[in-house]
Amino acid sequence: MKLPLLVAGLLIPVCAAQTNEGGLDQGKAIFRSNCAFCHGLTAQGGRGPSLISSNLLHTGSDEAIGNVVQHGIAGTTMPGFDLPKDDLAALMQFLHHLSGSHAAESKPPGDPDAGKLVYARSGCSNCHRIGNTGSIYGPELTRIGAARSLDFLRQSIVDPSADIADNYGGITVITKDGRKISGVRVNEDTFTVQIRKADQNFAFFDKSEAKEVIHETKSMMPAYTHLSATDLQNLIAYLYTLRGEQAAGADANKAGGIH
Amino acid sequence: MRAILLVFFLAVTTLPAQITYNRLLHAKEEPQNWLTYWGDYSAIRHRTLDQINTKNVKDLRLAWMYQTGRAGVNETVPLVIDGIMYATVGDGIAVAIDARSGRPLWSYHHNFPPGHATSGVNRGFGVLGERLFMVTPDSNLVALDIRTGRLIWQAEMAPYKAGTHYATLAPLVIKDKVLVGISGGEQAVRGFIDAYDAATGKRAWRFWTIPSPDEPGGDTWLADSWQRGGGPAWLTGTYDPQLNTTYWGIGNPGPDLYGGDRKGDNLYSCSLVALDPDTGKLKWHFQFTPHDLHDWDATETPMLLDLNWKGRVRKVVVQANRNAFFYVLDRETGEYLLGKPYARQDWAKELDSKGRPILMSTYEPTQDGTHTCPGLAGGNNWMATTYNPLTKLFYVSVQEACNIYYSAPPVYQEGKPYWGSVFRGPNNEETWGALKAIDPTTGETKWEFRYHQPSWAGNLSTSGGLIFSGDEDGYLMAFDAAGGKNLWKINTGVRLVTAPITFMVNGKQYITMPSGAAILTFTLPDELTAAKPAASK
Repeated sequence: MKLPLLVAGLLIPVCAAQTNEGGLDQGKAIFRSNCAFCHGLTAQGGRGPSLISSNLLHTGSDEAIGNVVQHGIAGTTMPGFDLPKDDLAALMQFLHHLSGSHAAESKPPGDPDAGKLVYARSGCSNCHRIGNTGSIYGPELTRIGAARSLDFLRQSIVDPSADIADNYGGITVITKDGRKISGVRVNEDTFTVQIRKADQNFAFFDKSEAKEVIHETKSMMPAYTHLSATDLQNLIAYLYTLRGEQAAGADANKAGGIH
Repeated sequence: MRAILLVFFLAVTTLPAQITYNRLLHAKEEPQNWLTYWGDYSAIRHRTLDQINTKNVKDLRLAWMYQTGRAGVNETVPLVIDGIMYATVGDGIAVAIDARSGRPLWSYHHNFPPGHATSGVNRGFGVLGERLFMVTPDSNLVALDIRTGRLIWQAEMAPYKAGTHYATLAPLVIKDKVLVGISGGEQAVRGFIDAYDAATGKRAWRFWTIPSPDEPGGDTWLADSWQRGGGPAWLTGTYDPQLNTTYWGIGNPGPDLYGGDRKGDNLYSCSLVALDPDTGKLKWHFQFTPHDLHDWDATETPMLLDLNWKGRVRKVVVQANRNAFFYVLDRETGEYLLGKPYARQDWAKELDSKGRPILMSTYEPTQDGTHTCPGLAGGNNWMATTYNPLTKLFYVSVQEACNIYYSAPPVYQEGKPYWGSVFRGPNNEETWGALKAIDPTTGETKWEFRYHQPSWAGNLSTSGGLIFSGDEDGYLMAFDAAGGKNLWKINTGVRLVTAPITFMVNGKQYITMPSGAAILTFTLPDELTAAKPAASK
């Protein structure tokens, strides 16, 4: 889980050759090697949001979009890409082309108000927070509706292990006296591990005092497969409305030396 | 009595250094000093100092910390000459320090012409006579007065043009010449190694790492691609005085990730070149990665060893190459003797009898990305390797990572990066690092100590039975050279990206490791060293 953050600093702009189709092909090449990794090959979303339906693409000016591409979005996993002007223009052309040729992600069916009740009933706030309400144990959901595609939201609820959020991987330490402490791996190095437990408190260990340190391959979040189709639909509809402003710098994992 | 004796020692140790070529030749016989980037011409980075050893290293403690004021990556390897440390800082800055106390003695600040790049890492000094030699971010070589840091002469390695050439390496002094190489493998330069007269700064010879079409090897480049072919020489070479040969690893061809415009083997990129240090003439070459497409520079330490090889002693050069193979070559002839993976790799099926890789389909980067191991940083990189003559093992910091490599034809623009597309780390894929102890006669790993992350720190070996190394989380560590047990560690707070050194002053052994803005120096408490008895005689 440490790679995406590290690699964000290594991204290098591609300078694709001009072809007969001009900027469109160039834009496509730039998109594929820089953006598709998170936003999907057709920009319809993946880890990152769909760019077809995003508010920014439809209401923002080219200048505003370019600003996001070049500087990233603070407090999110969107890094900045230092693209040359020509490449940026070609990328913009390609994004507009995609918007014209793919159906926009429409507002999901379902009742957001009913979904909010599903959220409360299912205990989501025991781990997640929206604004200042809820737990800091799991990823913040304040702007999750803007940050993820609908398909990704659905998958995250029914199969959270399919793609575990950056910096929320689970870890279990079994101490020599047999205690078992599980939680989110906040930081780790060759000799120590720092855990946030479900009660939101930290626990620190030297690996030398542990009998075993287990990196969980499954998400710490249970799979909510028992939700009815209607409840699931409503819950996604509710999550889709969460487009609030996440406090700048709220991503604690951006602190130096956190892997 | 004690005070008088200490003053006497000070007077002795602060005499102006006279580093003759003869002293450089016998650097290993002065284990109290650290006279070259690699510690000696063969680059084994082993010192016959054992005051700090497997039994007492647990008591190693900070002696002093010098703050350079320059945060970020600190890749310097200081020199230590008769009690004085000479450290380059980066950004054209250098400093001399009392090696016992950490107190600065002088500093040098390069005078950059307006418009020149003024920032960049630096890896260290070369020394001869009373002169220190350092390269600058704007590709100059400067000679400094070792007593004052005053500029004596300055030589231009390449005319300054923003975004093209730059220089980072520690110069290699051989006889009366100062050898340096150029950086810029991602900037469409044509690489070279230069020798300058130590007395005057006049250029004595240049070896172009990329041949022109009318030279041998020129036919390994398509059309005029050789003019932007890369092949930088950004890490210091080694030297065998008996064979009068200097060995240099050559960097990647450009553009890094797209090979369509440079079809062919692209000599001498990703090769080891053996040169005559008097003339710069090529004696032989060996190419590790023909037609590289992953930025796998061959600049890693070309270490010179005399090994028992199938019943006879052979003079060899060994290298843990960035392409994840450990190589042994005969250093008289360049003959390939051994090649074996020391890190995860899935690009070569095997090496043939001449050491040429037989490629897998995963070798080619593509428009939509190809997953290949090792990653762009390679199995090893500039992290110095070390060899311990007592254990007869070779120690290497290993990066276990893979990348997704993308490729697209780049448009050449002078002063702009020339990558030919991008690379990135895959999601949800574990990466880690390790210190590995390898038998250089077989390439077999004898032990390994796993790190949480791929490490960028180099290694030091001592006759105290220790290997010193570092990791990406900032730990400086000591290991039992024989068995690999971690015996000491300290969290220095920031990633370690250079290699530790050791030296001795007034009967005390020290370990120095630059970390971020700091140069950290460690020693044992007085009661555990010979310093006290010596002073009370």
